[in-house]
This record gives sequence, C-alpha cells and structure tokens, in this order.
Amino acid sequence: MMRLTRGVSAVACIAIVSLITTPRLLADAPWPTADSFVNAAADASNWVLPAHDYSGNRYVAGAKIAPDNVANLKKAWSTKIDARGPLETSPIVWNGTMYVTSSHNDVYALDAASGAIKWHFHYTPHVIAFSANRGVALGDGKVYEATLDGHLIALDATTGKTVWNVVAAKDTKNTFYTMQPVPYKNMLILGASNGDWGGIGYVTAFDAATGKRVWDWNTIPGPGEPGHDSWSGDSWKRGGGAVWSGVAIDPSSDTLYVDAGNPQPDFLGTIRKGANLYTNSMIALDISGAKPKIKWYRQFIPHDTHDWDPAMPPVLFTGTVGGASRKLVAAGDKGGNFWVLDAGDGSVVYHLAVSTQKGQSTEPDRAGDVACPNTNGGVEFNGGSYLAETNTFYVPSVDQCGIWKSAGTATYINGQFYLGGSFPPQNGPSTGYINAVDVSTGKFAWRKHLEFPQIGGALSLSTGVVFTGGVNGDFSAYSAKDGSVLWHFPTGMTIQAPPASYALGGKQYVVIAAGPAGINFADPRLHQGAPTLEGTYSHPATAAITAFALP
Amino acid sequence: MRTFSSFPLLVLIAAAALVPRAATAAVDAHASALAALSDVRASIGEIVRIEDGDAVGHGAYLRAAHRALNALVGRRDDGYVAAFGDPGDGTGTLGHLDAMLDTEGTSLWTPAVDGAKANVLAAAGNLADSMHEKQMEDYQADLTHAIANLALVTGRASQTGVFGGLSGALANTSLGVPAGATVVSGCGPASGTPAYGVVAGRLAYVAVSRAAASTALPPDLSVSRIVVRGGGLVLYTSAAADAASLCRQSSRREPSRRERARDVAGQSFPALYTASQAHAGAAVYRQYCIQCHGVDLQGTAGPGVAGKEFLSSAQGNGWTLGDLRTLIFENMPFSNPGSLTPKQYAAVTAFLLASNCYPAGAAPFPTTAQASFAHVKIVTPKGARPPAKNGVCPVR
Repeated sequence: MMRLTRGVSAVACIAIVSLITTPRLLADAPWPTADSFVNAAADASNWVLPAHDYSGNRYVAGAKIAPDNVANLKKAWSTKIDARGPLETSPIVWNGTMYVTSSHNDVYALDAASGAIKWHFHYTPHVIAFSANRGVALGDGKVYEATLDGHLIALDATTGKTVWNVVAAKDTKNTFYTMQPVPYKNMLILGASNGDWGGIGYVTAFDAATGKRVWDWNTIPGPGEPGHDSWSGDSWKRGGGAVWSGVAIDPSSDTLYVDAGNPQPDFLGTIRKGANLYTNSMIALDISGAKPKIKWYRQFIPHDTHDWDPAMPPVLFTGTVGGASRKLVAAGDKGGNFWVLDAGDGSVVYHLAVSTQKGQSTEPDRAGDVACPNTNGGVEFNGGSYLAETNTFYVPSVDQCGIWKSAGTATYINGQFYLGGSFPPQNGPSTGYINAVDVSTGKFAWRKHLEFPQIGGALSLSTGVVFTGGVNGDFSAYSAKDGSVLWHFPTGMTIQAPPASYALGGKQYVVIAAGPAGINFADPRLHQGAPTLEGTYSHPATAAITAFALP
Repeated sequence: MRTFSSFPLLVLIAAAALVPRAATAAVDAHASALAALSDVRASIGEIVRIEDGDAVGHGAYLRAAHRALNALVGRRDDGYVAAFGDPGDGTGTLGHLDAMLDTEGTSLWTPAVDGAKANVLAAAGNLADSMHEKQMEDYQADLTHAIANLALVTGRASQTGVFGGLSGALANTSLGVPAGATVVSGCGPASGTPAYGVVAGRLAYVAVSRAAASTALPPDLSVSRIVVRGGGLVLYTSAAADAASLCRQSSRREPSRRERARDVAGQSFPALYTASQAHAGAAVYRQYCIQCHGVDLQGTAGPGVAGKEFLSSAQGNGWTLGDLRTLIFENMPFSNPGSLTPKQYAAVTAFLLASNCYPAGAAPFPTTAQASFAHVKIVTPKGARPPAKNGVCPVR
C-alpha cells in the first residue's frame, strides 16, 4: 500500500511536466503523423489510436486524476448522438477535437472542451445482423470509418464531407465491418466481421490515401498452406475466424498481433473435424514485407463449438514475472480464460479462469446441455489494461451460462447466421467481475463481483485508478490496489464502449460512450426506471458521449 | 429431442450477379455435374432401399448408411469405409463438386454448386449421425433428413440458384452445354440448326434437329416454350425469360413499366395470416422484439424487419418465407431463442407479413412449418401501396 502511494506522487510530478511539454510538441502537426502514432504512449493530451497507442494498452502515464481526488470528478459535458443502436465507439482525440461514431456509422466531430458538435456525417447502411461500430481512425486530414455495409469511407476531418468511399469487404452479403481502422505507415489495418455468417476471416491493409488494397491475410489457411489439414474436407471454405477486435503492433519489429475468431458453423463441430486453425488464435504477423508472414500463433481453444473466440484485443506490455522483466502479450476469450503469452514466441506464461467454467469439453448436441460461460460471457471485446505501477492486469469479465444445442445440420443462407444450431439461451444468473491479475504470479490480486456484466473494457491511470463501465450504465473508478470504488456515475444507459482520456488546458478528461443495449446485452432487468448503483436506468433510447473532469 | 422443420433450409439466390464470362461451358464441369448427380442418385437409392425394404438388424442399416455416405463423400474422405462397398463411382458427389468449385473464377452456376455442396455436407452429417443412433425412430429421422437434403442437391430443373440444385444448373446455365457443342448467343431468334443458346451464362434454349437426335439434352429440362423453326425444335428453358430480359437491357431498351412492375412483384401472393392474428402479433412484437428492431421496424441494435430496406435485402439474399419462418421461430429472440410459444411465433410472423404489406386472409399463419414456404419468395407484394416513406404498412 505504502509503496504504491509513494510511487504515485513521483509519477504525478512527471505527469505535470509531460502534460506541458512533450504532448504540445507532438500536437504541433495539424494532423497526427507516423511519429505521433509511434510516440502516442507518451502523449497524455491526445488519444490518437483505438487503445491510446500501438501496444493496445489502455493506459495513461502522467495522469492527474488520482485516488485522492477522483471523488471530485464531475461531468464536464454530455452530447447526445444517434441512438439507433448501442455505442461501442472508442473516441479519437486530436488537438481539442474528438471523433466518435454511432452504431449505424454516423460520425461526429466534437469540441473536446465543450462537447459541441462541429460536424455530423449521417449514414444509412444496410444492417446484416446487428449494428455496432468501434470508432474511426484519423490521419492526413481525413477521418476513416469502416461500415456495416462493408465500405471504407474517408471523410474530410475539417468538414465531415466524403473524400472517397470504396467497397472494401470481399463479400458484402455476409461480411461487414465493426472494427476501428488502425493507421500504420500510410496504411489502414482493418479486420472483417463475418465470423458467424459463413465467411472466412481476413485482415486487410488499405492504402490510406486511396482506399486501395495493399494486402490481405486470410485467417483460414487454404489448400497447400500450413494448417490447412486442420480442417476436414472443404469445411475451411466457410470456416469463420473473423477479425473483430483491435490489433496490437510492435513498430520496432513490424509485428502485428491479431486475434482470429471462432470457427463456424459455430455449434456444429462434426462437419469441420480437426483443430480448425487459425480460429480462436492469436497470430503474430511480420508485416514488414509485401505480404504478411506468420511469426507464431497460439490457438486458445482448438475446435471450438461454443463461439468462445478471443474477443479481447491483444495488449503488449513489459511486465515482471517471477522477478524478471519480460515482453508479454495478453489475451482473453469468451470461454472465460485470461492468457499471458511471451510476446516473442507465443508460449503460454500462464492462464487463469476469470469467469465460471462448466461443461466445456462437451460438444453441443441436439438434446442440449449447460455450459459456461455463455457466448456473451467471459472476456469481451473491450478487454483489459496493464498498469506498470502495480504490475497488475485489470480485466472485466461476464459470468453467465447458457444451454447449448446443435442442429445436426448447417445450411448456408446469404446474409444469415451460419451456426449449425442457435445461440444459447441464458441459464441462471448474469453477473460480472473486475479481475486484477498479479502479473508476477498469474494469480488474482483481487476480484470484485458485480451485479451486472462488465464489457466496457478497462482504462488504467499511472496514479492507480482503473475506470470501467457495466451494462447497467454505472461508470466507475476503482482503486488499482484493492478494487474499492473511488467514484461512480450512473449514465442511465448501457456501457459497452471503452473509456478514453485526454487533456486540454491543463485539465485531464475521461470520456465514455453509453447508449441502448446491443442485441447481445439486452438484459431483462434493465427496463426503464430500473435502479442502478446510484441512479436509475433511465434512458434506454438515448445515446450520449459524456466527458468528466476535475473541477 | 429437438423437433426439426420438415423441410430443410433452402438458399435461393434470386439476384445472382451477372458474371462477365465467356458463354462457353467448362468441359470438365459439365461432365463433373452429371457424375455428381449420378452419385447423389446412387446415395438416395441406398437410403430408399433400406427404408422401403424389410431388412432387420442393426448391421443392415449400418451398411446402408455407410454405402450411401461412400457415394456422397468419395474415396478421399476420412468417412469413406471401403469395406461396405460404394454404389457410386468412387469420386463421390463431393469429389465432383470440389473439382467444379476448384476451377478458376465463378460462373453463374457456382452458387447452385456451392449450395449443393452445403446440402451434401448436411446429408453426410445426417448419415454419420444415423450410425450412432440406438433407436430405430432416430435412425429413420436421420435418414429422412438426409433424403430431404439430397433432394435439394438434385434440385429441380425449373429453377436456378440453390433451389435448382444440380438439375437446375444443368437445365438453365452454361453448365448444361456438353464439351464441343455448338454455342450461339441466346439473344435474337434461334436458327433451325442444333445449338445451345447462351446469354451471360444462362442457357436460354436448346435447338434440336427433328431428324436426328444429335443434341444431348440436360438430364432434366424444364421446357417453358417449344417453337418449331426450320427443320428443328427450339426448346426454351426456364431461364429463357431472364435471358431475354438481359438481351433487352444490353440493347439499351428500357424495360416497359409493366415489365418492371412484374420483375419487382415477381409472383402473386397467397393470403398467409389473419388480420386478428397480426393484431395479436403486434403485442408480441412490442414485448419481445421492439428493443432491437425498433418502434418503426427499421432496426436499432438489430436489422430492420419490414419495409423497403428489409425487402431489398430479402430479395438480394433470396430469402423465402421458409427462411424467414426458421429465423423467427428458431433464432429469435436473439437473447433467448425458442423461448416464445408456437402461437406467439406465428402471431409475430403474421404481424411482420402485415407490416410488409402482405394481404390478410381467412386462415391464420400456421404454428408448424409448411414445405410450401420454401417456394414463397420474400419480395415486395404485388399492388402494395404502403403509406409510409419507409415502405411499412401499418397494422391495426
């Protein structure tokens, strides 16, 4: 306890210096450059990449908000946006402007100090299955968004007018985009969402100037490629392995860390015998050349029949394990596992269960059986955060079981789920956890059990504060050292977006998007007026971006 | 034990993209398709023989399932057990279909072959399941599903896309043209000499000589019109109307308003539900569906379920009423599939049909699946005049 407190004040002093000097230099350019992206970790003023920097670690060094002042955090502004679906946007903030998206691909530029809308881009995409968007990329005067109808769009960042709009998905009948594009060396890295609709996953690099394809990398190996023999017959052709979530990049070695989703048909394993590579895997790709090359892969759940994909975006970090400093990469899957791998070779350092696990070795059959977690359980798509100051990883999770059935057959229909069964109805309670994993030992430092699923992802501050939000709309700050609640705010909406942080005029802001519940997270307890921690679930049909700051 | 819809899901690709490909038949593809069809029939034959016969004992049934599976999957598959014998040609339906799919590029018939393959895999799954059953009735249920899936593989000559299966692709696309045959443009009047008239991958007609049976016909040909010309007969296929429409487009003549209306409406509609049922369905919708599909049915967290946007994606994807029913009854509500009563599911389906401007009738939408639903395409109903801009008809 003492050690942390002392560490915090030292870090806080550095923070003041860094807020005044380094970020201003970085922000001198009119738009973020390749250097801004590579040095983003040191920039507390801006938030230029989906998880702040290429490591994927949602962490802010030099924070001003601290355990001893976070109780005073107040709403600075709140701006309502398009509420046609859940908000999953991770804001991008640059030079006082914030860029956010709605579930149906509307894009907004907001004044980061007041929340005033500078421009609004409206879009009406065809929705294949559900609406969601995880945010934009910013660079070279353009805002880039990948859409629900499989397009990649570049908008003028000053006016919001379309610069170009290309069809980017290979098959728009079963493929769409929810991922936030990641700018890297004049390219935009983007994964395709098609994992439950009969497609094959792929990650693509697009030329950021034109939207033209630079390369594609398929997550399912075709004939003649290593790993192809992990699929029986031709089942690989609709094998799944979507790239839903964020990616991590190590710019020093041009390594892209990407997770491929579950195999399909999701619940019917008998027609796709084998391990089904590279579904449910993290893959480290060398992207220095004209085509990506696999450095290593780690399959978390081979031959998955429960839709337990590694939803959490990879987080690269240097942590202390057993007294030695190691380059690590963290992963989390919907099967309730949290994984820490060696970033150099993908070997498992350890893994532990962060949700109840039951019936995991039984394939669903026609009669049905109970297994945990449910498809929307375990570690979800916003993942967690490593805090160097405590050598601890903070990862929210969902605790929920389901009843699983397979249908005995799977038939492909354009634009519909290709499941070989149907999504499991929930069985029993639905709750959440905030898990603090001691990186040194791979054991829990603490766990906090909460009444509602936690999917909002974690933001950790160097001062020892961890922010996250639950589906009931409570946005909370926890003490990094013991999980005690330091502050909370009832948004009255559902939180399934990750928190972000930025600084303006010497003030640190924390921002969160909240809105209607997504189809996966509609909770019968959350009717209008249902009580939450300190307020009520009062705005089920509203979506808003809300920023908080110290007075 | 889960109950299955009596008719499996079908795929109908109504708006298959026009493939800019030379209108020549791939030699191997034609032969492969015929061989694949022959293997499917051999497999069906095995199943029918054991179901109709009076064999007793587990061994006979196991043997039949293995033989039927062998004909489908072929020697190179793990599931092939040579000891039981093979009524097919050894390559198996899958082997032939794979050979067709592995060729460069896509053809108009690719979706049909893709679909046939999915259905072969489904049937193979049924047969594999049957080998582990303990109860006779479970075994028979598996075989019934296998037969239903194989019926889709065979398909029907009157249709293209996945409904048409292999027969439909052979009868209506360039797949039906044997190696070395004379191929002519299917636009314009057919000459009296034997030839295959092809338009953008569609087989519009087969012109045969009356004197000599020199022109090989696809195994099933659904003839929509016969014209006597010169010394021969011109047999127009089911794809002829579609081909003619393409010919008109390519000659840059705008289709008439009547033609356009016909293309959109496509077919006339049976009355599928009652007005009072749709009214009851509105309450079900409000309780279980509105959160994701919206007050205006245009979708919020989930997709739109009525009106212009929905109907255009339904047409683009070739959905049938059977598909729609399965989606509603088996996959919804998304957070708890199968949790409503059959009566509630039927009512909400009635509500959705009404919201999409389908006419009400005297009989309610049934609580059980009907095979005929697979033939009803989800398109904008003929004569529908929705008052709202989004194309939704109000339900009272």
